[in-house]
Amino acid sequence: MITSSILLAITTFAYLLCALLYLAGVIFRRRTIMLWGTITGAATLAAQMAGIILRWRESYQIGYGHAPLSNLYESLVFAAWAIMLIYLVMEYRTKQRALGVFPALFAFLAMAYASFSTGVSSKIQPLLPALKSNWLIAHVVTCFVGYAAFAVSFGISILYIARESKKKSGGDAHSLLPDLRQLDELNYQMVLFGFLWLSLGIITGSVWADLAWGAYWSWDPKETWSLITWLIYAALLHSRTMKGWRGSRVAWLSIIGFGCVLFTYFGVNFLLGGLHSYATTK
Amino acid sequence: MQKKGFWQGLYQKLASPKLTVVIFLVLAAASIVGTLMPQGLGEAELQRHYGQRAIWFITTFGLNDLYHTGWFRLLLLILCANLVVCTIERLPKTLKIFRRREEQVDPEKLRKCSLNCQFISKLSRDETEARLTKIISEEFGALQRFDEADHVAGVAEKGRWSPLMVYVVHLSVLLVLCGALVGSIFGFKGFMNILEGEATNEVMLEGSDRGLNLPFQVRCDKFDVSYYDNGMPREFRSDLTLIRNGKDVLKRELRVNDPLTYDGVTFYQASYGAILKDADVELTDRESGAVRRLVIPFREWVDIPGTRDRAQILRFDEDFRGLGPVIVLIISRAGGEPSGSRILIERDFHGNRVENYNVRVLHAARIPYTGLQIKQDPGVWLVWLGFAAMLVGIGLTYYVSHRRLWVWAAADASKGTINVVIAGRTNRNEISFEREFNRLCGRLQAQLGQEKGGSKP
Ligand code: HEM
Repeated sequence: MITSSILLAITTFAYLLCALLYLAGVIFRRRTIMLWGTITGAATLAAQMAGIILRWRESYQIGYGHAPLSNLYESLVFAAWAIMLIYLVMEYRTKQRALGVFPALFAFLAMAYASFSTGVSSKIQPLLPALKSNWLIAHVVTCFVGYAAFAVSFGISILYIARESKKKSGGDAHSLLPDLRQLDELNYQMVLFGFLWLSLGIITGSVWADLAWGAYWSWDPKETWSLITWLIYAALLHSRTMKGWRGSRVAWLSIIGFGCVLFTYFGVNFLLGGLHSYATTK
Repeated sequence: MQKKGFWQGLYQKLASPKLTVVIFLVLAAASIVGTLMPQGLGEAELQRHYGQRAIWFITTFGLNDLYHTGWFRLLLLILCANLVVCTIERLPKTLKIFRRREEQVDPEKLRKCSLNCQFISKLSRDETEARLTKIISEEFGALQRFDEADHVAGVAEKGRWSPLMVYVVHLSVLLVLCGALVGSIFGFKGFMNILEGEATNEVMLEGSDRGLNLPFQVRCDKFDVSYYDNGMPREFRSDLTLIRNGKDVLKRELRVNDPLTYDGVTFYQASYGAILKDADVELTDRESGAVRRLVIPFREWVDIPGTRDRAQILRFDEDFRGLGPVIVLIISRAGGEPSGSRILIERDFHGNRVENYNVRVLHAARIPYTGLQIKQDPGVWLVWLGFAAMLVGIGLTYYVSHRRLWVWAAADASKGTINVVIAGRTNRNEISFEREFNRLCGRLQAQLGQEKGGSKP
């Protein structure tokens, strides 16, 4: 009997395989290997989707009955799925296979962290009353599509900076990788897409908070960090309208922005939560 | 003169997109400080955690309530001013471009476009014209033509209004901030605890010790909590009745995530708890061994029968340091100074005694109360409007770009062929436009470069 946990465990290793295939394709400059990367990625995406749907059904069988988007484990799984989905759509539209290494790697890391970290429980848990709302689905999905787009943009930015420094030191152009102008353009598209979804995520969260607690904005650390992330990417979008800011500065801003995404996601829970309880209980 | 120079300088600063990026980054940095520094600490807590100099620094810059300080609001104000000035500067130009219709095509300009292609058509002029129009209209949208005797010329475009969407986004930011301002001036936020069976109209305002009276009463008819098997609360619910001028005007259940709005005031199920009604207590006199049982209502003096002593329950706590519920019982002997002690309700504990009595609580009757969060925010619809506009604006900015395609074709008299020039331009998403353009050019070349009578698709 196939359960969601078996499917999701397979997914984890399949993403690793996918990342390795893309990497091998880029290193040995073989398009066929990269094509296999794409095929593996798409198949894994489908298997993971099935895993998520199964988990959803299982939660109903247990009697808790909620979408698998409610705790750290489930959100990591969804993040991996969203990263790969966004990447594959981009690949299909741009016909650029060589960019797949980073998204597949990030999807693998997210899945590996979800599956193997002792701090992440994969048990299906019931929902607190405050979380029982369709807004939960809307809010988590939109936020994580945004985060996933920023993860893809992060990968593109690293490539951009690597290629640029290679170009400066007189290295050659890699025939399979897009050139700097294309990377910059893709990066911008990806950030604008992510910005749209992050805005949607913040807005759904805010509307939900207003319904549940009567305040659409209360400056709690999570909220504030999502705003900080939003501001960094807004700065990125506007910096492109200034002369001489395209290219590496935008790539660096995207890297900083993704750092903020990670902090919003993990840091706020692990670090700031502690700080605040320290301040209020002693 | 001096003054005008200052204002002009200020205006120019505010018109600069560089300022925007700077403000974004400063706002981000300030917000980070606000998350590292716990917000809402009072004087006493500051004293406990920080040194004198740190406290001076924190209170001077308002770091313990950073998001409500004057300087943080000033930053937001500068952002708004920046936005307004930029719009004033740029909107007229954008509108001018938006309104302008091209009426001629200059082949030299087309050849200078970064995206252009040129080829020779071997078909007749009529056939060339027909095929150009058909294919471009299929792939790109209607081709507007302004031919002249010696040439064919036209332009096709998509998403001409897309550059205006950025203004929608910018307007939406102003709407959201205006909505927040209206809410903070004309609205209020507070809470009320209502005992089951009681009614009140008093709201405790958040962050102040003032209260506020609603023009109607709220009665809690019943309060209920249900639990999961593992003890986590599943749901809590209050049955409320709103009473106006002595008449019941509305009855409704209130649950988490399902607020109730009446007369512009919104109620949210926020918390719950219980207070003590009375306790059934057994007192054993350690000197005489006499056992007496009595019911003591919360916060009322009761005579202990057969003695000249009196007892009162001063406090009730649902949980005292993980030891379960406690009461604080005080006893005054023969009218003397009262003395008291904590009594654990659910445990036999040697410290369960006051004066010369051993105390056992047989039953503690509680009255549950429901905790409601209450708010009135007349600005919230502006915020929602702003949110909607922001999503529409960003979405269309992303999905639609302003793409133009020019075509020019003229006969080359010496060779009897027709020269065709095509050029394209987009305001964003160049890569996908480039691919689309190249595909279109490829198809045109394939269709037009053939001899007359060549195979038709
Ligand atoms: C929180 C406030 C703001 C938000 C959310 C915001 C959002 C955006 C977005 C989404 C774009 C489109 C990105 C693109 O086309 O590349 C944009 C473009 C732009 N924004 Fe803002 N913006 C804000 C504030 C400002 C301010 C204060 C200025 C004033 C200088 C400004 C000036 C511009 C300019 C000049 C563009 C480029 C327009 C174009 O491409 O023609 N923005 N903004």
